[in-house]
Amino acid sequence: MSTINFAAREINFKIVYYGPGMSGKTTNLKWVFQQIPQNRKGEMVSLATEDERTLFFDFLPVDLGEVKGFKTRFHLYTVPGQVFYNASRKLILRGVDGIVFVADSAPNRLRANAESMRNLRENLAEYGIKLEDIPIVLQANKRDTPDALPVEMIQAVIDPERRFPIFEAVATTGMGVFETLKAVSREVLSRVASS
Amino acid sequence: MVEPAVALFGEAYERAARVLEELLRESGARYTLLLDRKGFVLVHKEALWAPKPPALDSLATLIAGNAAATQALARMLGEPRFNELLHQGSAHGLYVEEVGELALLVVIFDSSAPVGRVKLYGKRAAQVLESITQEAVVNPGTLGIDSEYRDGANALLDELFGN
Ligand SMILES: Nc1nc2c(ncn2[C@@H]2O[C@H](COP(=O)(O)OP(=O)(O)OP(=O)(O)O)[C@@H](O)[C@H]2O)c(=O)[nH]1
Ligand SMILES: [Mg+2]
Repeated sequence: MSTINFAAREINFKIVYYGPGMSGKTTNLKWVFQQIPQNRKGEMVSLATEDERTLFFDFLPVDLGEVKGFKTRFHLYTVPGQVFYNASRKLILRGVDGIVFVADSAPNRLRANAESMRNLRENLAEYGIKLEDIPIVLQANKRDTPDALPVEMIQAVIDPERRFPIFEAVATTGMGVFETLKAVSREVLSRVASS
Repeated sequence: MVEPAVALFGEAYERAARVLEELLRESGARYTLLLDRKGFVLVHKEALWAPKPPALDSLATLIAGNAAATQALARMLGEPRFNELLHQGSAHGLYVEEVGELALLVVIFDSSAPVGRVKLYGKRAAQVLESITQEAVVNPGTLGIDSEYRDGANALLDELFGN
């Protein structure tokens, strides 16, 4: 649930980028950090290994501005995608308001995408949340890989019932990055407004 | 959705702020913060003499992450919890105390404040803050976020991320 600080007149939302290792979660956040104006962002914090794999999380606060007298802020997090970091992944999901699932379009990552989605479902279940309880947006990243799989095939594996919107992206060039973030933010906002 | 929200405002906020101010005075610390477990700052206070603090957003996030990891470690070892967390360097120290299930108290101090005093007053303050935060747990339905707010926020999303 979002955190509201009436005294400081702030509303904060937590959005988590999930997905298999190397799918481009951190790259999404880096792009957002590079592109948005200085006065709309805080510091980006990355807890990563020497070789730039996420170890605990990346964090980026984004200021949307003031709405009805409330400063509205999105806290963006990425999880470590590598399978053996599951304990950390679970911790990052605490208090999540919305999820971006970043899938990898490379054929040899199809199974990793599916396993990561199953892992997301299991970890949310530990907090008593079902996938359909929370705003989720899918991103098929790395569309620039020469043998990228058709989006439908990726979707068939991570979301066979086609419940969630899916966006194509090339996070390294920024294609689809803002679209994805905007979509999940909208869903988060409409969810709190109707609760 | 996932867990209850702590919304401090009005009288509860004032009380929490007073507790933090008193803690600053009694312990001689630089900064005191009350965070929720997700790493959002609920209230913070700085001593008048203290230099400008580092980015509180990042600080809060790292402390909440650290506390969550410490708690997970405790459970793996069969402990219900490790109560406090203390980091001390040559010039600065960081003390974190749980405030019930929902919040964390953070005290940042330098070598002019004895650790013993920070811990003693920190624990006392955490107890008082626990009852204040418990009263400040709200039902999301009463937060007053309406469709007018949503439409305003959506317009800002378009502005920041393009149409
Ligand atoms: N070609 C291509 N490479 C990409 C794209 N997005 C990310 N990469 C590269 O893929 C590698 C991994 O990207 P990261 O963003 O670190 O992946 P991650 O999902 O954060 O990985 P973990 O932290 O291990 O979970 C990096 O070398 C990126 O430059 C893309 O759209 N196309
Ligand atoms: Mg990463």
